[in-house]
Amino acid sequence: MKRTAAFLPLLALLAACSGTPSQPGAPAEKSLAIATMTLPQSLDPKDANGSALPFFQAVYDTLVKREPDGTFSPMLATGWTYDAAMTELKLTLRADVTFDDGSPFDAAAVKANMERFVKGGGAQAKTLNDVKTIEVVDATHVTLKLAQPNPALLYYLSDAAGLMANPADFAKGEQLKTQPGGTGPYELDQGQTVIGTKWVFKRTAKYWGTRLPYDTVSISYFDNETAIVNGIRTKQLNAALIQDADQQIAVEGAAGVKTVKQDFDFQGILLFDRAGMVTPRLKDPAVRQGLNHAIDRQTMLDKIRQGRGQITGQVFGPATKGYLPELDTFYGFDQAKARELIKEPFELKLPRIPAIVSDALAASLQTDLAAVGVKLVWEDVDAGSAIQKIFRDRAYSGMVMNMGQSPADWVVVGELVLPGAFNMFGYSDDTVKKLLPKIQAKGEQADLQALNRHLVEDGWFLPFYRMTYLHVSDGSVTITPQDGMAVPSIYNYAPAG
Amino acid sequence: MTGFVVRRVAAGAALALVISMLSYTLLSIPHIDVARQLLGQGAAQELVDAKNAALGLDRPALVQYLDWLAAAVRGDFGTSWFTSENVLRAIANRLPVTLSLMAGVTLVTALLSLLLGLWAGVRRGRVDRFVQILAVTGYALPGFLVTLVMVWLFAVELGWFPAIGYIGLEESFTGWLSTVTLPILALSVGSVAGVAQQVRGSVIDVLRQDYVRTLRARGLPPRRIILRHVLRNAAAPALSVLGMQFVGLLGGAVLVEQIFGLPGIGSMTVGYTTRGDIPIIMALVMISVIGVIVINLLVDILIGWLNPKARLR
Repeated sequence: MKRTAAFLPLLALLAACSGTPSQPGAPAEKSLAIATMTLPQSLDPKDANGSALPFFQAVYDTLVKREPDGTFSPMLATGWTYDAAMTELKLTLRADVTFDDGSPFDAAAVKANMERFVKGGGAQAKTLNDVKTIEVVDATHVTLKLAQPNPALLYYLSDAAGLMANPADFAKGEQLKTQPGGTGPYELDQGQTVIGTKWVFKRTAKYWGTRLPYDTVSISYFDNETAIVNGIRTKQLNAALIQDADQQIAVEGAAGVKTVKQDFDFQGILLFDRAGMVTPRLKDPAVRQGLNHAIDRQTMLDKIRQGRGQITGQVFGPATKGYLPELDTFYGFDQAKARELIKEPFELKLPRIPAIVSDALAASLQTDLAAVGVKLVWEDVDAGSAIQKIFRDRAYSGMVMNMGQSPADWVVVGELVLPGAFNMFGYSDDTVKKLLPKIQAKGEQADLQALNRHLVEDGWFLPFYRMTYLHVSDGSVTITPQDGMAVPSIYNYAPAG
Repeated sequence: MTGFVVRRVAAGAALALVISMLSYTLLSIPHIDVARQLLGQGAAQELVDAKNAALGLDRPALVQYLDWLAAAVRGDFGTSWFTSENVLRAIANRLPVTLSLMAGVTLVTALLSLLLGLWAGVRRGRVDRFVQILAVTGYALPGFLVTLVMVWLFAVELGWFPAIGYIGLEESFTGWLSTVTLPILALSVGSVAGVAQQVRGSVIDVLRQDYVRTLRARGLPPRRIILRHVLRNAAAPALSVLGMQFVGLLGGAVLVEQIFGLPGIGSMTVGYTTRGDIPIIMALVMISVIGVIVINLLVDILIGWLNPKARLR
């Protein structure tokens, strides 16, 4: 027993002998250690996508900057104007920006980047589909001519499509994937970076723009939030996003940890099959409305996410013009009404991706729907095969998804309403057909709200709730959430004052 | 001995070839749409097809395998489809992490299990029962629980060790030691328990042998009998178990690497396999196969050295 008791001091001695490891964030001399669960497939702008954007923002600037509240401000473009028909966007560019090798950033570079972005076939290439031609007016002016109005274009230019790399690197094969070259505030420290594990960015000697507060920024990849939470608690990491409700609770009580909440993703069933191609009963709007009444959103939120979120019946987020607060509670939990609307029992087969559909969520939905005569059958699919079965084979009537809520209305419309990945059967109806051209041309709030209300009333989707995510820091960093992104922009971190 | 080693190496090469073929065949069954994963759900089909062609996935599996094999023989394992990193460099960056764990666990296991096994086997009685209870407890405790408790106690609460991350041996010995100590201890709990039982059993068996009785009758000091004769004969079976555990650690390391945020090849194998990153997976398979062959060969040579009767001609 005495020997067992001696074990603890022995460990302490070993720890003392081994010294304190070099902690990426602890000395905090203008260094920032961020944890991420996003693995970027490359640092070439044509491969930029979603939550990997901060990796790119470190080394590339975008044409337009998206501020934390979602508004746009100048970055590489100092100004922009649309023509009356909204089919020509004129950009004025900065004249004092150079790439790492000294070559100037100019209109020709914009054209070269955008054309390569489209041809590159990356995940976001489609965002420039409406750009018909890119016309270089002079070194500091470029005009984008559109095939049709695209109200989300400025948003896209503040995102992946607006990242500007040095055209001189385009001829160097795959070099940009691991050796990025842009005009951004940092450059990749090749010596300290281990791709796939940790990317280290050091301050560029001569940056044209506002100096960011950190000399070094490292982004480390983790495949689980347990390690991230431990890293924050021991101050080995400075900042991270925690999505899992249990992990949020674990980190919130820790000494010194600062947190900021943000509602970003909504979780719900995206019903693709409104035309009844796979499940004929879904063709009837009353059946879709019945499904919406059948689920107990508040209980699901309480049990599955410990109440961390806000129930909703709409896919438009609070930052959009189309959002209507009353639609969050449009469908009350009313199983008698649901049975009345659904009338006949039927079977609904959905894919189950374990990373999205937990056991608790799967059981809860099955129970609620069974109570109104709908037999929900889960088909287990792994993340790899899911994409093929859902999107290519169109084998299911819908799927449970966690979807980011963009602040740009047209991005929401493009992702969920227009024919495409999440409207794979290309379904539409008269109301939508009437509203879309108006929204595309003018984007007026009344039309967007009318569209949103119609989608909810007609049961296009089955949203459950918006999930609260937690930005956490070890206390040394102030994190400002970014509208339209789960992860903050690289510009949104500052030493805690 | 030279002939034995040459035969084992040749058999190992044949095994590696067969396993590479089987692995590639399994990976080529199109259950994962790699191009669509890379490009996203919204990508147009023509872009997905172009990506598949660029990755060479539009060709028959046999042609893909032969191309891979020809390049692999030249030492060219390509680049990762998902992170664009050079495969060999990616593995070289992560291999020291996992090797540190495997070597550390093997060392700790060998030392502790030998001590505990000998103690129990020689002393018997209450000591034996105590060691057996200890071993059964260590074996029964779920690995993830041991790991989580260790992180919580020694890293988060007491702050004796870092909770996450790895510092290379070439960077700082003390830093390296601090980052691998807890993971090694966490992994060692189960393996010490298993090997200690093996050593105990072998020691008891050897102590019952006639030659040990003869040695005692001749008046040799007990310490000398234990260390020179009993231990040497009892070590061979334990060494076989230790060798198997070393190889098995590659799988066991996954959980520990994930909880400690260690960038090793255990967690890498899981992550890249679920994505279908064939260049990385194939290289990892080859490294594992070579590792198994080398370890088994070393164990056989060591057993032969310990026990001349076991030497193969």
